[in-house]
Amino acid sequence: MRIEILIAGRGGQGILLLGHILGAAIAKYTNLHVLGSEIYAAETRGGDSRVDLVVADREEEADFIKVVRADIALFMHQLQLDAYESLVKDGALVFIDRSNVTSVPRRNWRVYIEPYTDIAEKEVGSGRVANVVALGHLVKTTSIVSPEAVEKAIAETVPKEWVDLNIKAFRYFLAR
Amino acid sequence: MRYEYLTGNIAIAEASITSGLRFYAGYPITPTSDIFEYLARELPKYGGHVIQFEDEIASINAVIGASWACSKAMTATSGPGFSLMLEALSLAVITETPLVVAYVMRTGPSTGVPTRSGQYDVLQSTYGFHGGLVIPVLAPSTPQEAYDLTIKAFNVSEKLRTPVVLLSDAVIAHTYGKVAMREKGEVEVVERSKPSVPPSEYRPYDPVDGLVPPMACFGDGYGVLVESLTHDERGYYSPRTDSQRKLMWRLYRKIAESAGQIFEYSSLYLDSCDVALVSYGSTALSAQVATKVLRERGVRACSVKFKTLFPVYEEGLAKLLEGVEKVFVVENNTGLYYRELRGVLKDREVVSVPLIDLDVPPPQEVVEVVSKWL
Repeated sequence: MRIEILIAGRGGQGILLLGHILGAAIAKYTNLHVLGSEIYAAETRGGDSRVDLVVADREEEADFIKVVRADIALFMHQLQLDAYESLVKDGALVFIDRSNVTSVPRRNWRVYIEPYTDIAEKEVGSGRVANVVALGHLVKTTSIVSPEAVEKAIAETVPKEWVDLNIKAFRYFLAR
Repeated sequence: MRYEYLTGNIAIAEASITSGLRFYAGYPITPTSDIFEYLARELPKYGGHVIQFEDEIASINAVIGASWACSKAMTATSGPGFSLMLEALSLAVITETPLVVAYVMRTGPSTGVPTRSGQYDVLQSTYGFHGGLVIPVLAPSTPQEAYDLTIKAFNVSEKLRTPVVLLSDAVIAHTYGKVAMREKGEVEVVERSKPSVPPSEYRPYDPVDGLVPPMACFGDGYGVLVESLTHDERGYYSPRTDSQRKLMWRLYRKIAESAGQIFEYSSLYLDSCDVALVSYGSTALSAQVATKVLRERGVRACSVKFKTLFPVYEEGLAKLLEGVEKVFVVENNTGLYYRELRGVLKDREVVSVPLIDLDVPPPQEVVEVVSKWL
């Protein structure tokens, strides 16, 4: 088993944090191996943010740090969807934030499109946790790692005062 | 053992603590500074010290001093900083001072593209200092290897009384990966050998029955001379050809004759291989993926990743690649390590694949270049 995961959005959307939580959950609490890399722009907000993860059950299969053909992708913004669409293979599971994306390319993907940012703002209480709302959807749908492992990783990664809010955001899709 | 999700840089910092690091001196430089920052926070918890000096020259000299005070000592830097450290590295070589330099390569020459990667300094890492000797160079390609090879770097430095370079690069520095972290007792940690004779009989550069002299530190009660001039076994200056010959050949032999013990590699498909893609550091990741693509296309390719670069284990390399017809040396520079290997592998075709890229070279590019030369 070897899975490439691409997570992309704009600076400020919490893409790197999302990638770190997912990578840490896989590395620390599963038998899977993982390598990952980050790309981010110099500006704090607005530029490209991207996390690539290569996950495999055998160490020698977790052999590269960049996505070549993504099996799973999460796009939090139209700009990065347009920029990195070509890295996503046919048949991939693709999660899209409808709050920031108006046009989805016609590709042979299994698309899950939900308004993650609107949900975070209106249902969870802060637009800042849209990333973790999306992570909950991705984890529920793909079962790549258990929700318990992700919640542990959230608690270890996020500053204390924000843990409860992030757990609430993460459980939004899991509870549905 | 526990698992963590670490970058290559933090894996180096963690492994140095596992190895018993007690003194770190450095000057900040991209892409190395997070080793420094992490240790500044963590090392004091283990009774260690972290000091920022005015530059890299002072830093490496402080590391030499700390090692002579019996602390395991390290610094970390990148190209411009390593250039400043070279004079003192030569001092560490002739005084046989165990220490580790984590060298995280970035794009050069000079300040180049400071935040991006390359493998331009592979020869400088061992040949850069004056005096014509070689120091061991270990080269990780993943955070796990960064962790494991840092421990090895400390062990080799203590065992052979030599500086050791851990040669990483900007890609590995900030690549995340699963790292199996060893607890105390789960991994071998070598301590330098101490004199067994009474202080009155101790000669600080007498290798006794081997090539590496037992090392007394300041405070151990022995007379210690840290001599940068050509010296005899007592550490006394000896400007004579026979003294120079004796010292040079011992310093040369203690590293060269350990080549087989130091050498470490990993391979894919080596048992059914006509065409080997040899690589190291972050570029080895591209070579591994390229190897798989070539095999899907029917090429009997294999990948050989060197985790150690110097000393070059000549007999071992020739034997390792015995059945291979053609060797491609894939690296992110103008073909530097290729120059080392073509002399060792004289009896077969060795082709340089120099891919200059600010990032890890795309595997597809490796496939394209290799395919042209098949």
